[in-house]
Amino acid sequence: MAAAPSLENDLRRLLIIAAMSCTPAIAGAGVHALVVEGLAGDPAYAEAFERQAGAIGAALRTLPDSDAVDLVRGDAATRQAILAKLEELQGTLTGADRFLLVLVGHGSYDDIEYKFNLPGPDVTGEEIVAALDALPARTQVLINTSSASGAIAELAAAEGRTVVLATRSGVERHATRFGGFFADALTDAAADTNKNERISVTEAFRYAERQVADYYERNGQLATEHPVIDGGQADRVALAQLGGAPAAVADAALAELIGQREGLNAEINELQLARDAMPADDYRSALLAKMLELARIEDAIEARQEELDDGR
Amino acid sequence: MTVARGCVALALLLLGALSPAAARDIHYGAVVDPAVVACDRSHWRGEIESSRLCYANLLRDDVPAATKAEAAWALNNLQQANEWFRAALAAAPDDYRSKVRWGDLFAASHQDAEAMNIYREVLEEEPGNAFALLGAARVLVDSFEDAANDYLEPLLMGVVPDAGAAIGAYLLVARVALESGNYDEADDALRRAADLVADGEWPPLEVYALRAALDLLRNTESGDWTDRALAYNPNFGGIYATPAHFYVITRRYREAIDLYQKAVDIEPELASAHENMGINLLRDNQVTRARMHLERAYQLDPFSPRSVNSLRLLDSFSNFRLIEDRPTLDGDVPIILRLHKDEADVIAPYAIDLTRDSIEVFTERYGFALREPVIIEMYPDHDDFAVRTAGMPGLGILGATFGYLLAMDSPSGRTPQEFQWGSVLWHELAHVFTLKATDHLVPRWYSEGISVFEEWRSGPNPGVRIPMSVYNAMREDRFLPVADLDEGFMRPSYPEQVIVSYMQAGLVCDFIDRRYGEPKLREMLEAFRDGLDTEQALRAVFGREPVEFDEEFDAFVAAEFGEFLEQLDRWAHLQAQISSKLDSGDWLAVLELSGELIELMPHYTEPDSPYLAIARAHDELDQRDAALGALETFWRTGGYDPTALKRLADWLVEDGQPDMAIEVLQSVNLVDPLDADLHGRLGDLLLDDGRAEAALQEYEIALALEPHDMATTWYRLASAEHALGNKQQAEDYLLQALDVAPNFRPAQRLLLELASGTNRT
Repeated sequence: MAAAPSLENDLRRLLIIAAMSCTPAIAGAGVHALVVEGLAGDPAYAEAFERQAGAIGAALRTLPDSDAVDLVRGDAATRQAILAKLEELQGTLTGADRFLLVLVGHGSYDDIEYKFNLPGPDVTGEEIVAALDALPARTQVLINTSSASGAIAELAAAEGRTVVLATRSGVERHATRFGGFFADALTDAAADTNKNERISVTEAFRYAERQVADYYERNGQLATEHPVIDGGQADRVALAQLGGAPAAVADAALAELIGQREGLNAEINELQLARDAMPADDYRSALLAKMLELARIEDAIEARQEELDDGR
Repeated sequence: MTVARGCVALALLLLGALSPAAARDIHYGAVVDPAVVACDRSHWRGEIESSRLCYANLLRDDVPAATKAEAAWALNNLQQANEWFRAALAAAPDDYRSKVRWGDLFAASHQDAEAMNIYREVLEEEPGNAFALLGAARVLVDSFEDAANDYLEPLLMGVVPDAGAAIGAYLLVARVALESGNYDEADDALRRAADLVADGEWPPLEVYALRAALDLLRNTESGDWTDRALAYNPNFGGIYATPAHFYVITRRYREAIDLYQKAVDIEPELASAHENMGINLLRDNQVTRARMHLERAYQLDPFSPRSVNSLRLLDSFSNFRLIEDRPTLDGDVPIILRLHKDEADVIAPYAIDLTRDSIEVFTERYGFALREPVIIEMYPDHDDFAVRTAGMPGLGILGATFGYLLAMDSPSGRTPQEFQWGSVLWHELAHVFTLKATDHLVPRWYSEGISVFEEWRSGPNPGVRIPMSVYNAMREDRFLPVADLDEGFMRPSYPEQVIVSYMQAGLVCDFIDRRYGEPKLREMLEAFRDGLDTEQALRAVFGREPVEFDEEFDAFVAAEFGEFLEQLDRWAHLQAQISSKLDSGDWLAVLELSGELIELMPHYTEPDSPYLAIARAHDELDQRDAALGALETFWRTGGYDPTALKRLADWLVEDGQPDMAIEVLQSVNLVDPLDADLHGRLGDLLLDDGRAEAALQEYEIALALEPHDMATTWYRLASAEHALGNKQQAEDYLLQALDVAPNFRPAQRLLLELASGTNRT
């Protein structure tokens, strides 16, 4: 009997190759990110926030087009420093850049105003959104894993901006679990549902959303957080490249194969879009043919890569 | 029935819920208005039309408001009665007789708190108000409050002399005594009540009904109570409904249904009989007929929460799926599962396997073959289960068996840390056998004892698991004489007594098995089936007087646990120290202290088991082999903490022991089956082990849980189908995987393998 191939091994072996075989992602000049670790107020939360912010920052750095990932934490994570950094980015980012702001920590909401908790004065939701509005980057992602973060949902919504919040409203004020699961998603192959070796915002969000729901259900507790996502580009913005950034392709034969694969992926994408208009059997036959062709190209890519590796 | 740890008075809740709802019962002098009493006497004689006319005339006549209130109540217009009582009390606030009746009206409409407030207000002003005392006692008895005695005693001792209220008090005492199995006490109370009834020329109907119940419970016929009652009032449904209640509490549901049917045949407007009939029909899986009676009960008494709850539950059945597993062997019975549609595909395979296994074990052990389908219902919402069981939410139990039908919390109804659903199912299935093998005559303690014993010995997670609170009770010598053990379930006198009684009953069966041999367990069932009570059964089966049997059991307990019981304080001290050392990360100290605990009690696998502490300490010290050994011992001894067992499975795989990892993960399925990742991991191990059929089942269950990573799930299904030689099915699954993840390499490889007809791996 054929044993099931080891998923882990497959994934590791094909990191470089598979990293380039992906659904269309947003192309741009580069990824810029600011990850802020807020005030913990408790050693257990401090440890958790440090891990989460560190993991998210590290994941963002694995993206092939990652230009700058700034991690601000501890005493340096003041309102003044964060707003200054965002103001500085107004002059350095371009419209084609992608910008991600990640807030890890506690938040509060007094029925009037949301605040992200920092050493010294807190930064308010309005200040955060105003700073984002002022950035030239047309593609933006705001990830706020704090309690009460849902208070800024309406305020933060904007064209080209994906917003991920740990709670659905400001009244969900308990410390959240969402951030921990969201950070986990960025290194877990199980979060990569389309197996393209990239974790998109949507994939990370769905993974964490599921984990949050499971956590409360399995512990017999009433869920005190309900994460939300908004924005039409969430599945096209990557947050992590599993296995790290791919190497450049110098070999012409390999490049041609990769080009074939990209073309076939596009054809498959078109076929999937036409699915509803096709008889089920026709769709199945067409999909099977395309998938076999794609699998054979992957085989050829893999073989060529091995030849190149042996040649080294 | 399976009890949740820490629950109190589960049996009492049941009894309370099953007590017939009070309508406008015989008042024995609580009402003195001659006009009302004249109508009442006609009513008590079963002169329905003339009594209705009599009450209707009172409503038309120019009579006091309190009189109109009684008339409206008798005509079942409770809201109008309430208005008239309000009017009466507004006019005469110190008319305490009417105020007590107003309280009685609240009690009759299931508003106990309001009724109790009224009784208390009256008693503050008039401490010797006999009917306020009686009303308060009735409410408290129905909610199993010991304080009921404080209200009853003045009536019974003559401190508050009122013959009518004393009748009510004696009837209450008789009912409680019957429910507790104290038949002599009931007999005495009924005799006193009957004397007072005769003196006061009150209707003897309720005395007759309780007498009939006493005969039923004693399995005798001391008098023609039914004939006498029907001669007095041919429409008195209580003569059947009251004994039916005692059939219910002795779990003879079908007999109860027959009596309730007779009750509503002669008194079609007896709401409580319709209600109880509906609830008991549900216990017999007669859903359509149950709905009919519950709807009738609701029409007659829209204030009853039990009818409303039960009807709502029936409405929710549309969210459940019925799954039937037909027998494959001659003599087997069908298994019918009623499971919530969201989890049916996950639970059904395991539930069916467990049920078939249990039937095989119990049929052989107890020499009884089931004759009807076994029906198993699992409820994700505990309150739905509670309503299914008792008509009311708030029940502290995990499962209940009514014969061939059992109901229980589903795995999602409680957290995995507190609920081994597989063991609960096994426990309840043992009840099916003990109930049916004895025609439902088995006493509660023995049925529970067998169920606990079978959980420990043959269940899916064997091992004697006794909570520390029970050891404390053992040390304090709180075990009851075996002949009185039902009391511990039915009328517990301290908070932990129910769980203590479960454990004692289980230990008694363990003692019988080890001291006298397994066949005696069956002989006890046969004795109960033949109508013997516990004392008679002990004499017949063991040739021992109950006292002698208790002495032998005490000696057994002393031999098994005596040394440990002497060290209980030390155990608690060591546990506290370990907790502190775990917090401070002093792993060597944790190992030393936990070792001492294991010397004291090597079989302790509750959540604070020393094996878990040892495993953690060894792991922290990078001593993986020792950590693995501790968790393995924990598992083999009956530990079921799913987090620990999943870790053990990982370590076993890393250690090259996939076979044992499979066993461990299979046992986790019976605790925590709603974890999609668990099924994927288990399926992978099974597939690697060449058990593709079993792997496929695990993967299908994972799919039913709709995991986040669907591509991997479909790929796994394809792998299992491929291993089973099902090419088309494997291809279908692969295309589903590739449809969401076109570049998923393992799926691509398998697709090429299928296309080429070769094995590439």
